[in-house]
Amino acid sequence: MRPEHRERARIEAATRVVDRHVASLRPPEEVGLEALVNDTLYHERRRLERERGGDPRGAEDSAFYHRIQKRLRHASARDLREMLDQIALRFASEIVGNFDDRVYKLSTTVVPTGLSVLLTAMSPGKLGSLSSLRHGLSDHVQIQGSVDHVRKLLDKGTLVVVPTHSSHLDSIVLGYAVHLMGLPPLLYGAGLNLFKNPVTSFFMNNLGAYRVDRKKTAGLYKDVLKEYATVALELDYNNLFFPGGTRSRSGAVEQKLKRGLLGTAVRAYVGNLQSRRDKPNLYVVPCTISYKLGLEAETLIDDYLKEVGKNRYIIEDDEFSRPRQVLNFMSNLVSLDSRVVITFSRPLDVVGNYVDEEGRSLDPRGRVVDAASYVSDGGAPVHDAQRDEEYTNELSSAIAREFLRDNLAMSTHVVGYALLDMIQRENPDMDLYRLLRTGGRSPSVTASDLATETERVVGALRRSAKGPRMSDELARDPKAIVDDALRAFASYHTHPAAVRRGDRVFHENRNLLLYYGNRLKGYDLGRNLSRAEGATAEPAGARA
Amino acid sequence: MTRDECIGVIGAGNWGTTLAKVLGDNDKRTLLWARRDDLCREINETRQNSKYLPGFSLGPSVEATSDLERICKSTSLLIAVVPSHTMRETARELGNHVNGEHVIVHATKGIEQGTFKRMSEVLREETCVRKIGVISGPNLAKELAARQPAGTLVASRYDEVFERAHAALHNDYFRVYQGRDVIGAEIGGGFKNIIALAAGVAAGLGLGDNTKALLLTRGLSEMARFGVAMGAEVMTFGGMAGMGDLIATCSSPLSRNHQVGARLARGEKLEDIQRDMAMVAEGVKMAKAAHDFALRKRLDLPIVRAVHNLLYGHHEVPLLLKELMNIPAGPEFAALTV
Repeated sequence: MRPEHRERARIEAATRVVDRHVASLRPPEEVGLEALVNDTLYHERRRLERERGGDPRGAEDSAFYHRIQKRLRHASARDLREMLDQIALRFASEIVGNFDDRVYKLSTTVVPTGLSVLLTAMSPGKLGSLSSLRHGLSDHVQIQGSVDHVRKLLDKGTLVVVPTHSSHLDSIVLGYAVHLMGLPPLLYGAGLNLFKNPVTSFFMNNLGAYRVDRKKTAGLYKDVLKEYATVALELDYNNLFFPGGTRSRSGAVEQKLKRGLLGTAVRAYVGNLQSRRDKPNLYVVPCTISYKLGLEAETLIDDYLKEVGKNRYIIEDDEFSRPRQVLNFMSNLVSLDSRVVITFSRPLDVVGNYVDEEGRSLDPRGRVVDAASYVSDGGAPVHDAQRDEEYTNELSSAIAREFLRDNLAMSTHVVGYALLDMIQRENPDMDLYRLLRTGGRSPSVTASDLATETERVVGALRRSAKGPRMSDELARDPKAIVDDALRAFASYHTHPAAVRRGDRVFHENRNLLLYYGNRLKGYDLGRNLSRAEGATAEPAGARA
Repeated sequence: MTRDECIGVIGAGNWGTTLAKVLGDNDKRTLLWARRDDLCREINETRQNSKYLPGFSLGPSVEATSDLERICKSTSLLIAVVPSHTMRETARELGNHVNGEHVIVHATKGIEQGTFKRMSEVLREETCVRKIGVISGPNLAKELAARQPAGTLVASRYDEVFERAHAALHNDYFRVYQGRDVIGAEIGGGFKNIIALAAGVAAGLGLGDNTKALLLTRGLSEMARFGVAMGAEVMTFGGMAGMGDLIATCSSPLSRNHQVGARLARGEKLEDIQRDMAMVAEGVKMAKAAHDFALRKRLDLPIVRAVHNLLYGHHEVPLLLKELMNIPAGPEFAALTV
């Protein structure tokens, strides 16, 4: 964000949030104001206690809140409002990032080379020459889908790119893709841990990230964060949100999306219409990032299985915090074993309609609709919190649908699914968790059975109306698909998901099989597979 | 013009005309859409719809028209009341004239055959409108037209839909309650017609109130099981659109579905009954849709199965009754643990 905008966004975000709170208060105003200050103090103090010593700003924050606390006792309504302003501004100052267009340009040119040098230094024998590396990186990050469509919309409004999220590399890979596409950089909120990580801090500070501290639980903080994103959109900064909120732990494509940040799209759109901006439209671009291998796969699926439904929102000790492992993964990316494919889906408007290349909203029958009419009352644009919440739900469903449609099925996903499904069917009396732990009756299956099963899964996926897209390698014969997946598993994971010995394939890390297979959740595979057999019953043992 | 000054009612059948009458009683300017010009003329000249609501006059604020575009331009509040089998076609036509500001509340009971889609889904697929709701409740048209006290439910995810429908329809003889469970309200309104058919059969056989109560309560249980499988909230079925509608429809010999059931019990053929009736008995279509859906979802709905077999399998009434009574009875709410 440009310096003059940064200051404007900081002040605007803080002021709007406090104004809104004040406007919603019933008299006497002091009671509500004091409750809000107290609530924020409570959440911040708890946070500071939890991370005592861990946050370099902790002492400063403690002193600040201590001063607020002292003033609170005899504060008038005016004092309370001032305190709220101070707290909100403090939050906003922290959120605002260091984005600098010149640094961005430099870094997107230099970083791929720098990365290559780094990789070469790590493993010169394996990786070959510098130029082939640079070439290799762009070869292995593939961009497909509505690329031209998205480019055309750039002149017609502001973009909100909403990708699937399965790795900390996502924002970097996407930043690189956006650069290759010739699009201006995307503004996005990145967790504080990414700013601390030695590998990513450079990108985070320079590629347009603003800071999101997920340990801050105060409602006021979350409001300021959302308002900052809204203001940024109104200032025509193309934004990137991860609507899943956090990396997918199970490996599945996100279907339950967080509405908080997504809701800023409709808010900003109304704001744009009210201030009669030249190009008020916002275009939401779902985007699926598909990895053949998951950098953090082992940690994520372990976390998922440890506490299904209660998994940690923030993980700080995963593969991503270990530079050597990141480099190992990156070197895989430029060798032949791995691949990242970014698919841009058809762009949507803020209520979930498809948008044509002219930037016009289309109804389900392809008729042009005036998008402004959705937020109008008697022709004038108005905010309506309840209505907009529902619009965001509609948008969220549309994004989830596009995620499923444009998710790319790869050999690792299909073979992961097929092998685990075979094991489950061979052990119908075992629940999934026990099966994952013990492996069931036999440690292996025959390679030819696995190939047959893989063929069935590929067939069922092709029949599914909801998607996914199929990667090129899935057009090969089933044995080649199995070999491809096993080679990929062996190339990166310390304990590969499955290994071939002779004519048999041994399932060595079933958690990983679950992780990769889960990428195919949402396509009714169980039903489609049994239908192909002419059976009517669902297969035993639902997937976690 | 402020937005609530005019309301469009799409469909001038029995229920559409009745709702237009309520709006007229509330002095709301109402444009009532009928496809046929001669019907529009009759309504505008005589203030009556002699075929679908004989004996009742519409207020002076009600005007009939066959011009859908004019209605959509005059108002952003539309009440769609067309039979379920013509909803898609009408909605597609509406889609040419509406925009995102429009609100559509439908009052059509039933599910689209073949696709199993609810009417709100059909409206969503055929128009750009997002603010969609449903009116459903114990509302026998003739009683409402006679201004007898009644209540109904308007369910929508959007508060504005309820608020505007409430402002238009609520009065001293018609109470309009708010709900959010659109699926439940739509299922309740459609499904009860199947049970009404069964209740009609029981009445036609001369069976008494014990039998009727048995049918109603077990019918409500089947309705809830079916609804929950479709994504509804179980509580909805204890309200206006579930229990309420079921009681009214199954108790009243005025109900078309009840009449079909009673005549079937007397040995008449479905084709002959349908030929005699000016209006559509939604239960006949709903029984097929629900039966097919239940098979697909592997739901056990004995009353639905019996009604379906009576309508389409040409099974004998006494045999079906015997079959129903021979089903083992277990814990009352066993199948409802959701």
